[in-house]
Amino acid sequence: MKKVKVLILRSAGTNCDYETKTAFEMCSAVAEQVHINSLIENKDKIFEYDILAFPGGFSYGDDIASGKVLANEIKNKLGDKIKKFSLSGKPVIGICNGFQVLVKMGLLPEPKLFKQISTLSYNNSNKFECRWIYLKTEKKIKNESNCIWTKNLPDIITLPVAHAEGKFIPLNFKLLEKLNKNNQIVFRYSTRDGMVPKYPLAPNGSVEQIAGICNTKGNVFGLMPHPERYMFALQHPAREGFAGKYGYGKAIFQNAVDFVK
Amino acid sequence: MFKIDIFTKEEFKDSHGERVLSDILSIGIRDVKKVDYFPFYIIYGDINKSEAKTIASELLSDKITEGFKISSGAEKKSKSSIIEVLYKKGVTDTVSESVIKAIKDLGITNDVKVKTGHKYYLHGNVSQDVLNKIAVKLLANILVQEYKIK
Repeated sequence: MKKVKVLILRSAGTNCDYETKTAFEMCSAVAEQVHINSLIENKDKIFEYDILAFPGGFSYGDDIASGKVLANEIKNKLGDKIKKFSLSGKPVIGICNGFQVLVKMGLLPEPKLFKQISTLSYNNSNKFECRWIYLKTEKKIKNESNCIWTKNLPDIITLPVAHAEGKFIPLNFKLLEKLNKNNQIVFRYSTRDGMVPKYPLAPNGSVEQIAGICNTKGNVFGLMPHPERYMFALQHPAREGFAGKYGYGKAIFQNAVDFVK
Repeated sequence: MFKIDIFTKEEFKDSHGERVLSDILSIGIRDVKKVDYFPFYIIYGDINKSEAKTIASELLSDKITEGFKISSGAEKKSKSSIIEVLYKKGVTDTVSESVIKAIKDLGITNDVKVKTGHKYYLHGNVSQDVLNKIAVKLLANILVQEYKIK
């Protein structure tokens, strides 16, 4: 059976690369943490991998704005390679700080465009928000979306968030409509019953409670919550699991690995 | 030298400014009605106005929620009281190191030095004594930072 290879891109300040590596390894992939300087020295190395992951953390200390310095570096030094990788249809994920990087370099919402047309801004509370939240993976959206990462998830899942800049804002209403129409909004913050939440279950004030989006093709996915922190039922405060002993995060990573296989 | 001020566009929430206003109220000061927060960057070195604009638009401001103002000399007098907070000489400014690295990543290779700071516009009828109190109690860590009231 083909071994799926995952590149986990790290830089100064990245702090969720080990968990992300473990998450992919739990899904029978071979994951490797690669420092950005090493990838810049050998740019074509990226094409040796099947999946590209931008992990969470505080790249460059969140200086200027979260993900901004790394997004600027990647766009200017690796832009054409990253774009080519994404357009090839291989899975790409950005988690939390990784999502901020994808949005700020413009790989999301649309890698073809490769231009920043949305942002993740400061939480309405202007505080770091860290807790378990609920996400709605609306059935209609889930079944009609091309997103390869969120297939077969239940209607409501729970994952932890930990961020200060997670408020998703699209450039304009036209873009928001397009994201809705194309079923690119794959996760929205919700209550346990699937209703529109208030703070603190709505942790940041995102437009239309957006927590995660994918590109139209469905291979590039970014989300503020941390699926790599919910691989085992035991990681949840109530020890709730999905498919027995596993957390919902496992299903997300497994989807991508199975897609490549 | 170019000074680049970053501001939140009117249609978006200035979360940091609102938080500072709430902190000011929490220490019993009622004279301030609104706070606008502007982070700023002073860039020294051999760069031209067009490069400063690229740095401001591509790097220092958010394309969706923020705008920027570039100045290279004395700034216009404001109707509001302003408190500016900067690191004291000799204190490592880690954000400035990231900015210098990121300017090089943009392809601007001339040597530059960068100073970062925070500017607060306080709207309301606020006395000099109260401004000093706000600066010392809330905005500046006077061990490592200095502040100016304008």
